[in-house]
Amino acid sequence: MKKGLAWKSIGFALLCLFAMNKTVHAEPYLAVQKGLKCSTCHMAASGGGQRTPYGSAFAQTELPARTLDMGKLWTGEIGRYFAVGGNIRGGWNRLDVPGRSSISDTELEEFLAYIEIKPFPKYLTLYVDAKLRPDDPEIREQYARLTLPKGRWSIQAGEFFLPYGLRIQDDEAFIRQVSGINFNAPDTGWQVGFEEGAWSGQLAVTRGTAGGPEVDSGKQYSLRVSHVTPKWRGGGSFNFNDASVGDRQMQNVFGGVRTGPIAWLAEIDCIIDDGTPTGKRRSWASLIEANYGYRKGHNLRASFEWFDPDDDVPDDEQNRFSVIWEYSPIQFLQTRIGYRDYNGIPQNPGQNREQLFAELHVFF
Amino acid sequence: MRLLIIILLGFALGGCSAGSGKGLDVSGRPLSEGGDLPLAATLASIQANVFNPSCIVCHSGASAPLGLRLDAASSYTALVGVSSSQNGSFKLVAPANPDASYLIKKLEGTAAEGEQMPLGGPPVPQATIDFVRQWITDGAAPDSGGPASQPPVVVSLTPVPASASTDFPSQIAAGFDQDVDASTINDLTFTLHRSGGDAQFDNGNDVVITPAAVALSPMNARLAVMDLTGVAAVEDRYRITLSGAGTNVILSVSGLTLDGEFAGSFPSGDGTQGGDFVAEFDVQGLQASLDSIQANVFTPTCAFSGCHSGPAGPNLPAGMDLSSADASFASLVDVASIQVPVTMRVATGIADDSYLIRKLEGTAAAGSRMPLGGPFLDQVTIDVIRAWIDSGAAR
Repeated sequence: MKKGLAWKSIGFALLCLFAMNKTVHAEPYLAVQKGLKCSTCHMAASGGGQRTPYGSAFAQTELPARTLDMGKLWTGEIGRYFAVGGNIRGGWNRLDVPGRSSISDTELEEFLAYIEIKPFPKYLTLYVDAKLRPDDPEIREQYARLTLPKGRWSIQAGEFFLPYGLRIQDDEAFIRQVSGINFNAPDTGWQVGFEEGAWSGQLAVTRGTAGGPEVDSGKQYSLRVSHVTPKWRGGGSFNFNDASVGDRQMQNVFGGVRTGPIAWLAEIDCIIDDGTPTGKRRSWASLIEANYGYRKGHNLRASFEWFDPDDDVPDDEQNRFSVIWEYSPIQFLQTRIGYRDYNGIPQNPGQNREQLFAELHVFF
Repeated sequence: MRLLIIILLGFALGGCSAGSGKGLDVSGRPLSEGGDLPLAATLASIQANVFNPSCIVCHSGASAPLGLRLDAASSYTALVGVSSSQNGSFKLVAPANPDASYLIKKLEGTAAEGEQMPLGGPPVPQATIDFVRQWITDGAAPDSGGPASQPPVVVSLTPVPASASTDFPSQIAAGFDQDVDASTINDLTFTLHRSGGDAQFDNGNDVVITPAAVALSPMNARLAVMDLTGVAAVEDRYRITLSGAGTNVILSVSGLTLDGEFAGSFPSGDGTQGGDFVAEFDVQGLQASLDSIQANVFTPTCAFSGCHSGPAGPNLPAGMDLSSADASFASLVDVASIQVPVTMRVATGIADDSYLIRKLEGTAAAGSRMPLGGPFLDQVTIDVIRAWIDSGAAR
């Protein structure tokens, strides 16, 4: 047997093995395409961060157009008690704002490192997600997770991203930006997780300061429940932040379905803020996204988002169209080229910008 | 199923167009709530033109990132004088000091931590940020919300009172907490003297400085500016007086007299109308004292964020904290170098044996010459630091 074929077989076997163990997760559209739960490919039950061995194997065998023969499959695991991973993103970005000169820049956007220490494998995990910079690393997540026997229940304590809706990578999507629950806003507290068959649930109680210090006795309560089948998934989230400056209540429904080569994602959020200068304010944010995996290693994404900042105020809505081509030529590497068109009220040029971008993503 | 999705998508796209903006201000709020304001160096204008349209979509409500709320009811108390939670060595807004204000660093994209703000959005134009800078330079005053019933007070001054600098200022700017009557800002109510070389005033040899102009800023009715263009730069002690007593006094637009008494911290005043505001500053060459070296070398050259900015500790470079004279003294004098532990950073009385001097002159056995990447200090400046060390490196 040729060496390349041998390691591909090992990779496929690993995929099957981990899939049978039902311990996976990935970028949402990939999870929809494959009918997998988020926790199949990522350590976090709602996605993102360190990849599981299955996630690593998937990224090397299923995601790229071509897999280079590198001898053996990288699983992220270094021995039984230690695992690492990382994401490096950089690229070029151009913004066109009406009435202003175009802005373009090239930069290293982020270098994320994930470290997982497992003193008691399968039961106790210590996890750190750090953004590395030359002079000032930033810890994004740091928590300890205890998983009970049979893997059904888990409890974690520390600083982590909150469970709420679809955890897509784009933090600037309205559903991520407006809800304030994204990769820029970890919170500190504890979380109980439940994984059983097609069901997945998380309940978190945290400070409610989006990464800031504790300022009052009120807490933030986040609940996310989802049901995943091979063809479709659906779920809902509820979040209540009890704050002295005025409470915030958020709720959403989200889902995904696969129709042939297209994976669809959708979410709609309703956000109610107390304590605004005009009293209670209700806003809406939504996303619908189609991902067309027309060939192995390629994904063509089109999305439409809509945002109503205050449903008592007419004519203030915003929307955003995106078209993105993602290409993973080989394992550990992904390129992304995209265009976004923002539309909002004409008197605010920033709400009517256009964006072109190209991104190189290296991950392991 | 596919047909159903396409139909739903069609409805979504067709029914979710962007708003026309009719009857709304630039922030998308009804004009009846206040409407647009012209750009000016006031909090109300910055709120209307920067925070509302660009920031509060995230920075509002109970879940504002880092707990930082920038809605109109919260922005002043959340920003002014409040330490950054990303970098505690900076205030979000440090009154009178925009370069040390984290808000400016985040808007201009020069902060070491996190992304440039607004996140993912177009950056705020520099011309707009300059108004934010000016508001901070003016003292970052809150908005009065109408004619004031209290007498005006001074909330900021540039140069900073009791400061020492090697550079003669090109202008003096005094900020007030409320709009003042432009006709009362002139060379009789806003004056500058120098001591005549003896650092003493009112002893017969004071020199009156004649400025190029004295006026209220045309952009900001709370900022009085003395233009010193063409004034000879003389090393001396200077005294600034804003008149709140006598015949010629500074008045607010509501006719109240300046409450000027100043005891070293802002705002001025004793709660009643009247009283001159008096503050002094020095223009002097670099002195062989830690305060002078701090002001002229360490603070502007070494104590940047991410460099020797503290907090003190074992990790270089921040751990060698040069952010204040006290911190520098604690970090340097008779403290062993981490790079070469047998050498004191400052060996009291012996400049040649001091690691600080070796690093500044580029003769250290380890690491790079400081300031890292240059430009390096000229030898005249280093010689003053040598003199301070040789004379005992006193605090």
